[in-house]
Amino acid sequence: MTTLHATAGYLPGLAPEEVQWQPLVFESGATRLEVAVPVLSPLQMTALALRVKQASRLHLKTMTVSQIVAVVDRAIARLLDPADAFRIQADRLLPIVSGYDADMVRLGLTAFFKTFREPQLHRFVAEDFANPKLLDEFQPRPKGGAARAFGPDLLVHSWAGNVPALPLWSLVCGLLVKAGNIGKLPSAEPLFAGLFARLLAEVHPPLADCLAVVWWKGGEEEQAAALYAEADTVLAYGANDSLAEIRRQLPVTTRFLPHGHKLGFGLVSAAALDTLRAPGTARLAAWDVMRYDQQGCYSPHVFYVERGGKVSPREFAQYLASELASLENRFPRRVLALEDSAAVAGWRQAIELQSMSAGGEFVSELIGEDGAAFGVAYADEARTLAPTALNRSLQVVAVDSLEQVIAQVEAHPPFLQTAGVAATPAELFRLSELLGAAGVTRITAIGSMTSPEAGWHHDGRFNLLDLVRMVEIEQSAEFASDKLAPYAD
Amino acid sequence: MVADVLAFIEQDGCTDDDFDRLALRLFAHQYGHNQAYRRFCQRRGATLRNVKRWSDIPAVPIDAFKELDLRCEPSAATDRVFMTSGTTRSEVKGRHHHPTLAVYDRSMIRNFSSRFMHGSGRMRLGILFPTETVLPNSSLAHYLALAVSEFGTEESRYFVSPQGLDSPGLCDALADAERHGVPYALLGASYCFVHLIDELKQRGESFRLPAGSRVMDTGGYKGQSRELPLDAFYAELSARLGIERSLCINMYGMTELSTQFYDAGNATVPSVKSGPHWIRSRLVDPLTRREVARGERGILVHCDLANFNSVTTILTEDVGLAADGGFLLLGRAEGAQAKGCSLAMEEFIRAAAP
Repeated sequence: MTTLHATAGYLPGLAPEEVQWQPLVFESGATRLEVAVPVLSPLQMTALALRVKQASRLHLKTMTVSQIVAVVDRAIARLLDPADAFRIQADRLLPIVSGYDADMVRLGLTAFFKTFREPQLHRFVAEDFANPKLLDEFQPRPKGGAARAFGPDLLVHSWAGNVPALPLWSLVCGLLVKAGNIGKLPSAEPLFAGLFARLLAEVHPPLADCLAVVWWKGGEEEQAAALYAEADTVLAYGANDSLAEIRRQLPVTTRFLPHGHKLGFGLVSAAALDTLRAPGTARLAAWDVMRYDQQGCYSPHVFYVERGGKVSPREFAQYLASELASLENRFPRRVLALEDSAAVAGWRQAIELQSMSAGGEFVSELIGEDGAAFGVAYADEARTLAPTALNRSLQVVAVDSLEQVIAQVEAHPPFLQTAGVAATPAELFRLSELLGAAGVTRITAIGSMTSPEAGWHHDGRFNLLDLVRMVEIEQSAEFASDKLAPYAD
Repeated sequence: MVADVLAFIEQDGCTDDDFDRLALRLFAHQYGHNQAYRRFCQRRGATLRNVKRWSDIPAVPIDAFKELDLRCEPSAATDRVFMTSGTTRSEVKGRHHHPTLAVYDRSMIRNFSSRFMHGSGRMRLGILFPTETVLPNSSLAHYLALAVSEFGTEESRYFVSPQGLDSPGLCDALADAERHGVPYALLGASYCFVHLIDELKQRGESFRLPAGSRVMDTGGYKGQSRELPLDAFYAELSARLGIERSLCINMYGMTELSTQFYDAGNATVPSVKSGPHWIRSRLVDPLTRREVARGERGILVHCDLANFNSVTTILTEDVGLAADGGFLLLGRAEGAQAKGCSLAMEEFIRAAAP
């Protein structure tokens, strides 16, 4: 077994020997990767927060949004260059850390980075700010007076999960609103955040001290408290109980923006189920399932398929199974830990047992070979939306009409986010009204579920607006000041 | 069949061939008489022809005891039915039918005598679990009742009622044993021992029970007490009762089995568990169901020849690691946490629970 070593985190102003390091070990095939993550003392954490605040006041808050966009674009251009050392490192190490297939990671990263190029970043800003100059200087308001948006002095990010490069989202949001940024790296993918921070510092050295990437062991309250005490805003990802734990630690005046785990699903209309279109839709759906083995918040767990098309819901489930089988050859599922295997096995067994215990009438079945690295369960009757065991386990549910799906999903609004829809234009808008009312925030094409477009509103929130504080100069102040002008009559 | 299984249990041990022979006879019996099991085997591609060793017998996931009717003899009013405690959210309980308890009882008595009593005669037993009358469907209640009737002296007593732990009564009994130098054995559910530890701590009491005294806990905490790490659990137990940790024995049993596993005390944890000659275990990857490489963790599969009426071979949800002379029990395979930001079943179930 070859052992590789990498260092995670990014600590401006701290020499490596000044902090303690703890190894996180990842194994993939015959490669073992030891990632050293930094463990700061509470005092060091406070000093780091002050340093980042100070530097961003001097070097980030003084840049225009367009200048920041240009810097991020230059960093992203490096990451899109397959020959760049940073990209090579990402391509080499992220598959080991996450366990995902190397090709899957490479393709996923490129598609992801493309949404952070200059035109996309401008769109990102324009999505939240009709007038992006609000972030740079006071702008006249139609109602009178003027306004300007101020980002936080210190935005703290608490990242989670092993989807490679995910911290880029919130980090870029923080940069665009000119916040000092400190992120707690996710133990499941500790590398990318630090790598990006180093790259940014190389591309534009004045930003070197404007961000930091740290780590602490879950439950180490003192370090967390030291950092949270300095933050004006905390953005956190994770399971609801971890989010609740973070919220408990925050001063009441700190803005908290939680993003919990989500449960994606798809709807396939009978209109998409003729013999020509159905295989293509199944192929796209299978890609959405395969990408990052369903670990994204937007990943589908369940597809509701309408009866009445030329291709029956059960046949559609079979198409899905054969697409997943061929994707397994190209992008094999990651090697599952025992607990994940047990979860998938438990999910499969439950379906098997249901199908065996039903008194003759057909309820559900498992499509695909025993032992295959994916599973498609088919249910012939309505099923409430519930998560599968992930790792390419998918539930297909036959419904008489897609309107029926609303009743199946509306019980869990906090877990809703993405719905993939294959339907006619009239159906799309009718269903979207219903889905939106039920709690869905993103309706997308099947095949695009796992690649949100630049500037999407994550969990229905405003990525940038939620971070800023609007400062308004009311008209009265303008009028009053006129009276005090040296040229006043 | 019952007579053959009983005779097998009485043997002094067995060869691999002996074990396979009876396992295959039981497999043929269960395959032939248990329709649900036969369908299950067919799904697994297992037939009387291609099952050649005990390890070829398809392992039934324990959840199947909830969904399927796993028995060879038709149900009768005289059956004893042991049910799972249903600590998990689901309302459905697993059911294990015993047309006779002759095999269960013999299996328990023979094994308990050597692994817990160590050949000593009857002892004073204190039971930290409700009686069989209170919990007629609990295999543990029956097990403990057998312990009392077969191995207990007249002074043996139960200290847990539906009202809870009778700590004054228990402290009196322990004090009495200590005073008179009579070895004492305390047996029961692990969580009852946690309650006892907490109670003794609160009262500031501890005992130095006479030599030969011992403890047997089983079943884990099941959310019924605070979670105490194993090492702390045995350290506290040993300190409060004055019983050395090598005589604090843990029994690993399941409603779905008719035979139990024991360790040789818990001087170090996790301890090595092993069973008698009529049960064998292997460690598998639950998805491929293939045995894991030595040194790797796996899910425990047990083949219990005393399970003559249900199925001999079950797939548990327990994680084990092979060790010299048995296996280490490493807890339940739960908490497959979301690796990404997609919702995992566990969180969903917790959120959906009332």
